[in-house]
Amino acid sequence: MSAAASQRTPPVWWLMFKREMSELWLGGRGFNLLILFCLLMSLTTWLLATNSELNLTPREEIQFIALQAIMTFGLFLGLVIAAESIAGERERTTLEALLLTPGSRRQIVVGKYLTALSLWPAALLLAIPYMFALEKDTELVWRALAWGAPLGTLLALTFTGIGMIVSLWSNTGRTSLFISLLFYLASLLPAQLPGEFMATPIGLLVQAAGPLEAAKQFLQHTLVSGEPVADNLMFVIIPALVALVVLALLFLYAAPRLQFNGVRGLRRAGTPAREGGQ
Amino acid sequence: MSQANGARAPGKEVLLADKLRKEYPERVALKNLSFSLKAGRVLGFLGPNGAGKTTSIRILTTMLPPSSGYFEVDGIRSEEPEKIRRKIGVLPEGLGFPKHVTGLEYLVFYGQLFGQTPAEAHAVAQQLLIDTGMKQRGHMLVGTYSHGMRQRLGIARALVNDPHVVFLDEPTLGLDPRGQAELLALIQRVAHERNTGVVLCSHALSEIEGVCDDLVIMNSGEMVASGTVAEVTRGERLHDVFLRLTAETIG
Repeated sequence: MSAAASQRTPPVWWLMFKREMSELWLGGRGFNLLILFCLLMSLTTWLLATNSELNLTPREEIQFIALQAIMTFGLFLGLVIAAESIAGERERTTLEALLLTPGSRRQIVVGKYLTALSLWPAALLLAIPYMFALEKDTELVWRALAWGAPLGTLLALTFTGIGMIVSLWSNTGRTSLFISLLFYLASLLPAQLPGEFMATPIGLLVQAAGPLEAAKQFLQHTLVSGEPVADNLMFVIIPALVALVVLALLFLYAAPRLQFNGVRGLRRAGTPAREGGQ
Repeated sequence: MSQANGARAPGKEVLLADKLRKEYPERVALKNLSFSLKAGRVLGFLGPNGAGKTTSIRILTTMLPPSSGYFEVDGIRSEEPEKIRRKIGVLPEGLGFPKHVTGLEYLVFYGQLFGQTPAEAHAVAQQLLIDTGMKQRGHMLVGTYSHGMRQRLGIARALVNDPHVVFLDEPTLGLDPRGQAELLALIQRVAHERNTGVVLCSHALSEIEGVCDDLVIMNSGEMVASGTVAEVTRGERLHDVFLRLTAETIG
């Protein structure tokens, strides 16, 4: 560290980010999740490459399926880390010490959010070889990635944010993870709706409002069907708005209200978390 | 032990609580808590389980807002929690520690959260490790520390910002008798050599009697006695006074 740098007080979010990154990556959790991601991607790639029924499937569609797998598995990683980040500290009773410092609660949350977000670019980088394993045409792979990467990043911002919001109000990591996964599964629901309903204007809106489904629709229409991007902007704009709403809720409303205990309403009134030792 | 940087006159009032009250929808956890603490003195905060000790500490450390009443730390009123956090140090009951950092890194991190430069935070952390008898352990991972070492590290963390008031909630819980004695001696040194006001929350009457200058006894959310140890006990054993004042709850 240079002399000048050692004279400056780093901002709280940076201190938190450094500490959390060190715990995530040096502590091994980040690598374990990435190994799980690679295993799932390997299985998906193997199934796609060996399934003879897919031999006649257009190459664009194979890349589309691969992108879907990357998003489904990759976004899950950030959600898991975000869901555990604050509720886990609360459970391990390390959160109170942080809150007893004069550092802004919002900056504490920013540091933790960026750490949870760091899994997405790592997963995306690791996924590139799998896409090349499925397709020799490098131009097609880069085209798929050119849309998949920004869309996935948009979704990562949203799902990591949802995980953080749930974590802010949960008393245990397990509760937080469970509720976050429910949100995640709920975002996959539009795909299960009847096809006739999906073709109606309300159906289209439902698809667009579910960030994962909207991304899927966008990629299917542009990458697979070759439709103009301009015709499918709704599937990008609405997820972008959802991301904005989630981030605003997280950083403007929830983060400044970060407390040492989670939602007290879930407990019997008058017996707040960790006040038993009076 | 290093001397405090801030100019704190001995005997200066560093903590004042006035009619603090905490209500939940179904019960009142704290009623009209009023007391004061001077710099360089140790105040024992006593009471049976459910007496309101932890609620009081949480209010005084800005973790919970009071329903009514106010408190001041070094003249700063409770309406300014961020400013108060700069003036206090806290060792909460059952505080957890990250396992994958060294004691030194842990203290440097918290020093920086209190606005110290990396160089300052490093120097303060080194000194606190010496002061708390942890000099040889500073480069070991916290995950390898014994319970007693973690409590010492917790006290070091509570001192990282050179606080005017330190709150210690059951610091000797789970320690062996030797560990308890060493920690209590450390607490006395913190109060006398750094001229810091110490609020010591404990169930152990013997340690309170041996270390504290002042007492507050709580029962069912109410303060039932306060003053110097001599004023509260009036020649009786603290154990007997405590049992008499809290007889209803304990009974």
